[in-house]
Amino acid sequence: MTWLITQLRKPEWSPYVAGAGLGLVTVLALVLSSRLLPAPLLIGASGAYENLVAPLGLALDPKNTYFKFVMPPGLTWSVWMLLGVFLGGLASALLSGTFKWRKLPDEQWTEVFGTSVLKRWLMVFFAAVLLEYAAGIAGGCTSGLAISGGVVLAPAAFIFIAGMFASGIVTAWILYGRRY
Amino acid sequence: MSIIAPLLIGFLFGFLLHKGGMTRYHKIVNVFRFTDLAVLKFMMSALVVGMIGIYLLTDLGVVASMPITPTYIVGNLLGGLLFGIGMAVAGVCAAPIAAGSGEGRLDYLIPGVLGMLTGALLFGLTYNQVYPALSRIANAGPIVLPEVIDANHWLVIGLFTVIALLLFYALERAIRIRSDKIRA
Repeated sequence: MTWLITQLRKPEWSPYVAGAGLGLVTVLALVLSSRLLPAPLLIGASGAYENLVAPLGLALDPKNTYFKFVMPPGLTWSVWMLLGVFLGGLASALLSGTFKWRKLPDEQWTEVFGTSVLKRWLMVFFAAVLLEYAAGIAGGCTSGLAISGGVVLAPAAFIFIAGMFASGIVTAWILYGRRY
Repeated sequence: MSIIAPLLIGFLFGFLLHKGGMTRYHKIVNVFRFTDLAVLKFMMSALVVGMIGIYLLTDLGVVASMPITPTYIVGNLLGGLLFGIGMAVAGVCAAPIAAGSGEGRLDYLIPGVLGMLTGALLFGLTYNQVYPALSRIANAGPIVLPEVIDANHWLVIGLFTVIALLLFYALERAIRIRSDKIRA
């Protein structure tokens, strides 16, 4: 018991252990969603943002087929899962004493890009637009496609992961220049 | 619909993202610089454990079926290429934006969430013009690797595990050589 509490209070685990835990979470998701949903679902995040923005999408374009039929408004399974992800991050940070309101990353960012909050926030905003649009095209994000597709051995996941690493490496190389 | 189940799954997911260091900018970016492989270790471990668990439960008949993500090569690849750019610029992706917001990261909670919602809006509004045409190219539907190479799924899972272990061995070595060079 004391051992468990010590582990839960640690700010960081080995990524092998945390990752293996996530593998077990996909198995749990399969069991629970098989019993509770018409069709099973593993994990994901990008779909929830679509459900959340759907009311605005339909207000702008009432006949939009995507927000009407594919990703309709509502508090879907995915939306509750995304809220859970937020609460899980909060609980882990509170337990380990690392919760803190902050506007910039704690490490590395300011040494490379400076201390401007505006610069960081603009870069995050546009990157997030791209992330979500790209997830739409690909059929999911790192969790909804790479992990959830990978654990069922769908080629889509491995094609996505290959593309993600290829452009990620090139982008980091361009951004970091001589620091790469 | 029960809300407890998705909340619980999400909670564990967010908890593990934070414990694995996936809510931190430098951890995500540094996998692309080959200076910290935490992202790759996290993803590969999740894949190996998940594959074994999911195929085992399906083989044992505990669950009737598993959800198969459709493969449409050009869309999966193009999406991945665009996604990697966003990930390297922001040092975050869709789920860690939520988990990191829970840690008090305002750059995730405000511009991050607003950006995801804007991207979702743009995708939905342009869906008919973009998605059907793109997903028709080289569309293989819901297939899995064991079908593609006509092999038993346990053989594929075993091969994947061996490749993952070899990859870690090679990359850990490469990183040691690289950091020795930087120090020298």
